[in-house]
Amino acid sequence: MFLAALTSGDYGTVPPDVALVHRLLQRDVRAFEELYDRHSRAVYGLVLRILQQAGTAEEVVQDVFLQLWRNAGRYDETRGPFVSWLFTLARNRALDTLRLKSERQRRREDQTEEFPPVAVAPEYEKELDEKRCAHRVRVLMDSLAPQQKRAIELAYFEGLSHTEIAAALREPLGTVKSWIRNGLLRLKEGMQAAT
Amino acid sequence: MAEAHALGALDAEESAAFEAHLKAGCPGCEKALAEARWLVSQLAYLAPESVPSRAVKERLMRSVGAESHVVPMASPRKSAKPLWLWAGVAALLLLTLYSTWNTRQLSEQVKRLQEQATAENQKRETLEQELAASRQEAQMRAILSNPESTKIMLMPSNKDMPSLEAKWHSQLGLVVTGYEVPKLSGNRVLQLWLIPKDSKAKPMPSITFWPERDGKLAKLVSNPQEGIPEVKALAITEEPAGGSEQPTSAPIWIGAVS
Repeated sequence: MFLAALTSGDYGTVPPDVALVHRLLQRDVRAFEELYDRHSRAVYGLVLRILQQAGTAEEVVQDVFLQLWRNAGRYDETRGPFVSWLFTLARNRALDTLRLKSERQRRREDQTEEFPPVAVAPEYEKELDEKRCAHRVRVLMDSLAPQQKRAIELAYFEGLSHTEIAAALREPLGTVKSWIRNGLLRLKEGMQAAT
Repeated sequence: MAEAHALGALDAEESAAFEAHLKAGCPGCEKALAEARWLVSQLAYLAPESVPSRAVKERLMRSVGAESHVVPMASPRKSAKPLWLWAGVAALLLLTLYSTWNTRQLSEQVKRLQEQATAENQKRETLEQELAASRQEAQMRAILSNPESTKIMLMPSNKDMPSLEAKWHSQLGLVVTGYEVPKLSGNRVLQLWLIPKDSKAKPMPSITFWPERDGKLAKLVSNPQEGIPEVKALAITEEPAGGSEQPTSAPIWIGAVS
């Protein structure tokens, strides 16, 4: 109910994410706290899944929310939902940290300073609230063949390329490419069908 | 192609070719890519939600509270300035050329100061991270090279696994090192346990960690809960992400503290 209220347009007394982001621009600490309480569990879950280490994951979550506080103006509400922007920012930071840890690169330019590019939510997304989106994504991904799901997860959570995934799964490159392409297509169609 | 690019799965050459195609101007692909980015962002829901420790929020609120009195940021991209503001600016333009010039100068100055503040903050964060990493490395080197450190060989339960080595200094801490440690699967992590000499006492949980992609392992426990005299052995088990209060699997490595 709570999450549904956030995105359905009938907000009641709960301000939508966009309203809270506007208040961040005025240095409203309570708006920041509300955004943190609302999204920190999902963001931490995502970052922990990528980094597999609680301490480092917490550092990245802290960095993501500090960047949100300092750069809220970089989010463009006309280009897509706030939560997608936040997830993309968190994933980028977590994958950067993963690469930094493995390659021992500590150069400043490797710290992602770029903010997520345009991510346009299609029309059908407006009819899906956050909770339903999460459920739908999990159901659709579970309906894929295990190796196909694994290939997409390796790309998303470990930042591997087609070639690296093919090597990791010991499958032909062309097979991996079509697994990922068809899997994402099925996800897209499934999300559309959910509306 | 747009979905794979949004996912970051394209190899370098494919990615460069696709970006060149976008630069050349292809509204269809741009739209497809923007939608694909949204679709890919939804994959975040595959990760189970998890609650960060209370300390994360406390640190954030301290930082944010300290910065809350800084000059407010520029307006968001979408929100146009109110009409009355534009009318006021227009009136001022008509009134005097000087006031317009002066306003612009002030705006530019504020913008420059904001950019400087942002750059300084980023620089400070980077330096803090580098400092913390080098302190940790220096501490590890000190433990490894100190003649007073106690060497503990951690032998594998499976002969195909490599041995690990730990060095424990009573004041500086404990370092565990190893090579060619196999990669863990899924949400699993390695966890270090301190086995007390008191046979009735339970193993004490320590840090969780995982090997790097090349199989190297070098982990520092700066403040072990117990001193060497109270511990008879170290053990390492595989546990679910986040670690366990008590071991849930048999030790993969174990080493006696002499």
